[in-house]
Amino acid sequence: MNDLYHPRSVVIKKTVIENEARDIKTFELVFLDQEEREKFEFSCGQFAMLSVAGAGESPIGIASSPLDDEYLHFTVKRYPTGVVTTALHSLEEGSEIGVRGPYGNFYPLKAMEDKNIVIVGGGFAFTTLRSTIRYLLHDKNRSRFKDITVLYGARTPGELIYKSELKQWEERDDVNMYVTVDRGEEDWKGRVGLVPNILSEVAPSSENSIALVCGPPIMLKYTMPPLLDLGFSPERIITSLERRMSCGIGKCGRCNIGSKYICKDGPVFTYKELRELPEAAV
Amino acid sequence: MRKGDRLKEKIIKKEQIGKWLEKLGKDYEIWAPVKKNGLVSFYPIQSAKEIYFDFLNSKKTPKDLFFPQSEVLLSFPKEEVGKEVKTILQKPRIIFAIRPCDAKSLALLDQVFDSEDYQDPYYVERREGILLVGLACTHPQQSCFCTSVGGGPFEKAHLDLVMADLGDGKYFVEALTQLGEGLMQRDDSLQDVQEKDREKLAKTKEEAEEKVKSKLVTKGLEKKLDKIFDSPLWDRVHQRCLGCGICTYLCSTCHCFALLDEKDKARVKRIRNWDSCMFPEFTVEASGHNPRISNRERMRQRVMHKFNYFVERYGETACVGCGRCIQSCPVNIDIREIIEEIRNE
Amino acid sequence: MQESEKELREVAKKLLLEKKVDLIIGYEEGTLPLRTRPIFIREADETKKLVWNFRCENNLCFYLKMAKERVGIVAKGCDIRSIIGLIKERQIKRENIFIIGVPCSGIIDRKKIEDILEGRELLEGIESDSQIILKGEGLEEKVDKDKLVHASCKSCKYRNPVLYDTLIGKEVSQGEGEEYSDVEEFASKSDNERWAYFNDEASRCIRCYACRNVCPACYCPQCFVDQSLPTWFGRTLHPSDTLIFHIIRTLHIAGRCVDCGACSRVCPMNIELRMLNKKAEKDVKELYHYEAGISLEELPPMATFKMDDPQEFIK
Ligand code: SF4
Ligand code: SF4
Ligand code: SF4
Ligand code: SF4
Ligand code: SF4
Repeated sequence: MNDLYHPRSVVIKKTVIENEARDIKTFELVFLDQEEREKFEFSCGQFAMLSVAGAGESPIGIASSPLDDEYLHFTVKRYPTGVVTTALHSLEEGSEIGVRGPYGNFYPLKAMEDKNIVIVGGGFAFTTLRSTIRYLLHDKNRSRFKDITVLYGARTPGELIYKSELKQWEERDDVNMYVTVDRGEEDWKGRVGLVPNILSEVAPSSENSIALVCGPPIMLKYTMPPLLDLGFSPERIITSLERRMSCGIGKCGRCNIGSKYICKDGPVFTYKELRELPEAAV
Repeated sequence: MRKGDRLKEKIIKKEQIGKWLEKLGKDYEIWAPVKKNGLVSFYPIQSAKEIYFDFLNSKKTPKDLFFPQSEVLLSFPKEEVGKEVKTILQKPRIIFAIRPCDAKSLALLDQVFDSEDYQDPYYVERREGILLVGLACTHPQQSCFCTSVGGGPFEKAHLDLVMADLGDGKYFVEALTQLGEGLMQRDDSLQDVQEKDREKLAKTKEEAEEKVKSKLVTKGLEKKLDKIFDSPLWDRVHQRCLGCGICTYLCSTCHCFALLDEKDKARVKRIRNWDSCMFPEFTVEASGHNPRISNRERMRQRVMHKFNYFVERYGETACVGCGRCIQSCPVNIDIREIIEEIRNE
Repeated sequence: MQESEKELREVAKKLLLEKKVDLIIGYEEGTLPLRTRPIFIREADETKKLVWNFRCENNLCFYLKMAKERVGIVAKGCDIRSIIGLIKERQIKRENIFIIGVPCSGIIDRKKIEDILEGRELLEGIESDSQIILKGEGLEEKVDKDKLVHASCKSCKYRNPVLYDTLIGKEVSQGEGEEYSDVEEFASKSDNERWAYFNDEASRCIRCYACRNVCPACYCPQCFVDQSLPTWFGRTLHPSDTLIFHIIRTLHIAGRCVDCGACSRVCPMNIELRMLNKKAEKDVKELYHYEAGISLEELPPMATFKMDDPQEFIK
């Protein structure tokens, strides 16, 4: 109880630059004390506060699967005015940072069992979906879920993240992968088109299905109508929201939309819940 | 609250208070209203002479004795990741002459910082180590509206002991908890209550309550607010607002904060500072996007948080009617008017 | 007072009816004794709410910084000097502003009233031309208005507007003029004494930033206090942090501050900000012979360089 704000020590084991602009990096973190990893029980969709001593803390979605039990992955975008994200990006492998969490609610993995899963992601907002995909596709889990369709898009090929994993998933026959970009480039041989359009084209069945959708607000806005058209009811469309946070535990007062704290009552909401929230972007 | 305690009532003469506090001062650090630079605030005192008994209410609320405006949560050498600072009150404390509304605000803050699923160690420790000695208000101000939000100038809830100035050089003292009783028993020169004291008390109370002239209907306000999130009302009420932090920093119940790091050559401190929903930076995301883009959204957030969101979450209004925001807003934005407008909308 | 208020309402009404402006920014009565407050009027009918008296303490320029339409603004001498500053520094366009100038013989300082009240509550304030009657429980006190006038107003040399589109009422006599005795007296104190004074003042600051928000010379889209990369100074309430805020702000507004006193008046903690600002004003005047907000042409010294600028500080 007394360590409410006390981060646990982790070491940056590995970093991977994810995009062409080099401002998105995935950090592989290992707890100094493996026992702490065991205590760090989380589920797909949750986030944690990462801290760099002297710079502060920042809420970041967990990108690894709960079943990746030796490490945690966080994919962090560096912003020019982001103190913590800039500090994180400047750290070398082997540096020690802090993790506090996990926080927030998670995707309804239980309710997703025996159902078809449609995952729609856009740009950088693919991190907790990646956690979910890794979880669903794990040998131990795959049989518990029916068809899995993943549609992921970015503005340009250079902005797609987790490229090697995307390729691996494309090669599997137990997941329908669709990767698309808004604007192709010369050597881009994949799909070109906006996520909502490709979604209508692919037209996954809504029969016994649940959709998880994450992306920039504008993508969310245009993805909801085709999903509804396909027959997904608002309570079976699940999404995750972002807001500035400081405490991560529903106390500091800034991340609320209406009476709901994104860090505590969210970040995962059904589209039905979302529509009932005031000032929500979607 | 510690229920079922025996009631204890006494009379203390004004000139006896110094002696009594001296005795209490052996075991407690006593904080009381003191006037400095033309402002009344709570300070630790050595002698009752320093106390400004006739204060209307303090400029700042005593909430910062529980939830300081700036507090080091963790402090650690640079190479370590985070060590706890154990904040122990050096000595148990008494807040002497806290107003009923401010005592109530602590009960509201308890909901936030000392709930079933979350106990803020820093807050809880202070809350447990600090006794509340109330001073009933014999001079409520025009801007006071405690009686409209479940309080009153003679309200005793959440106090350990309450005092009321009977006006004839005597104070009526009532212990409300065992701890409060302990404080009272520390001085055996306190006198027994006579019937006429009781009559005096009733009369003073009635007079005080009459002085709370601002009457607002807050019942059902949360439901009304549910419906008017997008109302043009918000375009009107924020217009004058300067977007400063006065109304939130002086408010009894506001509790938003930010965590941040400060460092010097050797050490890093993780600090918790008050923050304000009236500041544009409050919600700016790292990407530069700000979901509450103007004073309109921020003013709405402030009002909604107090009169709708908090009610939904904890079942109570997050305003105790102390009127500080009304008194100190540099452009005279008056929460009473806003409430009225909402009701009429 | 009555007369000019009437005239003001008529002028404002006409401006709206003739569509010369879209919005009038002025003063109306507030909800507490002796308080007025800003009002925004778009309908001609509403102009009857306008008031003008020696309680109109707000500097309304704050609202010009965000106005997107043609605005008629009720402005006192110092407010007009702020407007000149804003025009010169290209924050607002002269053609979008209709200045309703009001000669002003000084506004009252509520903090001085509080001193008189000694903790008692003011229930009513009745004003006559030269006096205010303060009423409260067991209190009735007549006070000369002169005794209550704000320090900035006392010395003001620009009580009659230096720039306006229309003038309400008659010109008034100017204030005492150049008054640096406080600053000089303070400057004569020892380092330790001065340091102790500033520390004491700064220790009360709650960092509400009302002083900055209200200041017509403070309009940076992102103030240095809000910058995090880099972070210019600590975020705690320690006087070493709050003092840095005030010192840097003083330097930023040196040569641009018009001594409107708005910052001191909004401060909920009675912090005497004027001492710092006055000192900066005095230095700028002595070193560069410049006074802020007097002419539309001359640029503030910190924004220009002249060959004969004093340069002893460059070592
Ligand atoms: S004190 Fe007044 S001006 Fe300042 S933020 Fe609050 S309402 Fe706005
Ligand atoms: S909102 Fe105003 S009246 Fe209500 S508790 Fe806060 S400061 Fe007091
Ligand atoms: S609001 Fe009520 S309890 Fe608070 S100071 Fe005023 S009269 Fe006293
Ligand atoms: S610093 Fe103060 S006195 Fe000077 S212009 Fe700004 S608000 Fe007015
Ligand atoms: S208005 Fe006063 S308390 Fe607020 S920041 Fe300025 S000096 Fe500090």
